[in-house]
Amino acid sequence: MVNYICGVLGLDAATFSASDRFDVYGLDSVEVVIMAGVMEEEFQVVVDPNQFFDAPSVDEFVATFTSGTAVS
Amino acid sequence: MTPLVSLVVISYEMKRELPRTLLSLSPRYQNCAADECEIIVVDNNSREPPDAAALAGLNANVQILACSKPSPSPVRAINKGLAHAHARLIGVWIDGARMASPGLVNACVAASRLHARPVIATLNYQLGPNVQRISCEQGYDQATEDALLASIEWPKDGYRLFEISTPEIKGGPTGAMLESNALFLPRALWDELGGYDEQFSEPGGSVVNPDTLVRAVGLPGAQLIRILGEGTFHQVHGGLSTSSQKSAINVVMEGARTYLRLRGKPLMQVRQRGWTYNSRTGEVVR
Repeated sequence: MVNYICGVLGLDAATFSASDRFDVYGLDSVEVVIMAGVMEEEFQVVVDPNQFFDAPSVDEFVATFTSGTAVS
Repeated sequence: MTPLVSLVVISYEMKRELPRTLLSLSPRYQNCAADECEIIVVDNNSREPPDAAALAGLNANVQILACSKPSPSPVRAINKGLAHAHARLIGVWIDGARMASPGLVNACVAASRLHARPVIATLNYQLGPNVQRISCEQGYDQATEDALLASIEWPKDGYRLFEISTPEIKGGPTGAMLESNALFLPRALWDELGGYDEQFSEPGGSVVNPDTLVRAVGLPGAQLIRILGEGTFHQVHGGLSTSSQKSAINVVMEGARTYLRLRGKPLMQVRQRGWTYNSRTGEVVR
C-alpha cells in the first residue's frame, strides 16, 4: 500500500508514515476507491472502500482489514 | 467551408437533457458563426432517438447519426462521431447530458492555438447543491433541477450555471483530474490515439474517459491545457456514476479493476497541472 500510494502521489516512500492519514498526503476519495479496486484485482480479496474512510491510514486500514474482512 | 471545430455528442435516452445540451452548443449561445462549428450527435440506440426536426430552431450545423453497432458502452458511438468529424479540432462529449458555458467552444479554439499538440481539458461541474451522487440521495431530482435552471432564467446568462452547480474536482481547477467530459484534441492527436478504446465495453464505458485523458496527456510532446472560466454542467439523468454513492463507488472500483487488467498498471488521475487558459481574461499560465 505504501508503494502504491507513493507511486500515485509521486512521493519518496522513505518520507511516508503509515500512521498518517491518507489526506495528509493529498490522496483523495477517488484515489482511495481506485486503490480498493486495484487491491481486489491484484490480490483477489474483497475490499470495502468505506473501510478506507473509517480507517484512514495504512496502519489503521491494515488493522481493520486483517481483523475482520472476508478474504476470498 | 470546413468548420473550425467539430463537437461529437453521445446520446442515450436523453430526451429531456439533450435539447438543453445542444442549445448550449448552438452558435448563438456560443457566440460563434454557424458554419464555424459542426455538431455531430451519435445516438447509441435510444428507444426514442433524437428528433432532427426539433433542432431546426437552433440554427446550428447539427447531424444526428445512429450508432450502427450499438452496445452498452458509448465507445463505438464516439468513434463513429470522430470518423464523421470534419474540423481540425474535435471535442468529445461522452455524455450528452452535459450543458456548456457560453464561451467554452471559443475558449477551446483559442487554447488550441497555444501549442502544436494541445490536449484541452474542460472542467466538469454537476448541477445542484452537491455532486449528484450525494444530492440525489438527499432528494435532488429532475424536477428540482428544472426549477434550479428556471431560477437563473437559463439560458439567458449561461455563466450563471456556475451559481447553481458543484465542481467535480475537489482540489480546485488545477487539482487532480479523473476525466474531462468535453475533451478537445486536434484531429491528428485523435488519430494517434486511435480514438476511444473499444475494449471498454461495459455499460457507460467504465473508465474509458479517464483512460482517454491519460493516454492523450501521455502522447509524445502533448501539452495539457486546462480551460478556466468555462465548464460543462451535468444534468441528472440516472447515469451510473451520478445517481447514488453506492453506484458511483462501484463504477470507479470496477473501472479500476478493468483498467488494471487492460493496461497492466493502476488507473491514476491526471495530477499534472499543465497550462491554464482563462477564457474570461485571456491569461495563459504555462
